[in-house]
Amino acid sequence: MSAAASAQGDDAAAYYVYGVVARGDGADAFDGVVGLDQAHEILLIEGRDVAAVASEVTLGEFGDDVLTSNLRDPLWLEEKVRAHDRVLAAAVERVTVVPFRFGTIYRSLDHVRKMLDERADLERTLERLRGAVELGVKGFLSRDAVRDRLAAEHGLDGEKPASGREYMLRRSLERDLDDAVQRLAAELADDNHERLTGAAEAAIANPVRAADEQPEERMFLNGAYLVRVDREDGFRAAVASLDSTDARYEVTGPWPAYNFAEPSEDDA
Amino acid sequence: MTRPPATQSSSVGLTARGGGHPAQLADVLERVLDKGIVIAGDIQVNLLDIELLTIRIRLLVASADKAKEMGIDWWQGDPFLAGRRGQPELEERLKRLERATGVDGADEDE
Repeated sequence: MSAAASAQGDDAAAYYVYGVVARGDGADAFDGVVGLDQAHEILLIEGRDVAAVASEVTLGEFGDDVLTSNLRDPLWLEEKVRAHDRVLAAAVERVTVVPFRFGTIYRSLDHVRKMLDERADLERTLERLRGAVELGVKGFLSRDAVRDRLAAEHGLDGEKPASGREYMLRRSLERDLDDAVQRLAAELADDNHERLTGAAEAAIANPVRAADEQPEERMFLNGAYLVRVDREDGFRAAVASLDSTDARYEVTGPWPAYNFAEPSEDDA
Repeated sequence: MTRPPATQSSSVGLTARGGGHPAQLADVLERVLDKGIVIAGDIQVNLLDIELLTIRIRLLVASADKAKEMGIDWWQGDPFLAGRRGQPELEERLKRLERATGVDGADEDE
């Protein structure tokens, strides 16, 4: 800030904002945590009611012109995206934070404070998220398991078909498999999401990621759940009690509430 | 036939988290690039770029963790991302050459 003369240079400082906490919250939660550039430590920039979790970066790395090309550099992108999450993860479960999307950058401390004071919704969002974290649940359906069960239901339990009739039955079973997997995936997705929503404060069913599928598995659930920290065990128990006859589940997190950070209608 | 165990899967591409939980690249990218509150900063990250990036990453990403496991670059095969590495060095070299030859990056030399 003081070096106004170099305001346009590559070394000029800018402030990258990771998220927002309530003012006075998290005073020591980010101690010793370094920012995206691995050089500057996290600082809390205080506004009237809330404070920005931020760190200094240089325009040489995050300025308008370089940022676009940096975004296309996969190694740079992976490193920075992981660093963004690492900073917020450092305080997850201890401090309630409204996580910002990647790449929110200001040219001065004053601009950060101005943003904080203009966005009155941030405080209401903090209130809504207070004491809660996000847990991710992914569900995968095993084609082999479904095939085995269908075969058993048709009385086909041997590995090799014993007769021509059994051979034909197996052939038609293979054709039915896709339908069965499809149907089961839809059923499980609805049922599981409903059960987990019951154990959470809020829930979002994100689209399943095509790339997460392997030939032998079908992803049917990619849910995000806002869970109060004191109900986390209960939520994990709810996941453990889901139907795992043909399916397996992965729980990720605790995350800052990335999926619940946009203002809801109540916050507006 | 055996049924896959209904437990947590592989621990590839993991990063230590505050709560002691590891995170896979796919899940981190999905959240940090595609979720979180959008607030206009001074530096405009081209939202179209981010959107495009996110879509591509959604297509790529899972394989990302698997690719890493196999020692392959996760962005391989994506024209938007691939080949970006090495370009800064190339550009730097070009600049040095231009300086040395006195061409100095004139417009007509595109």
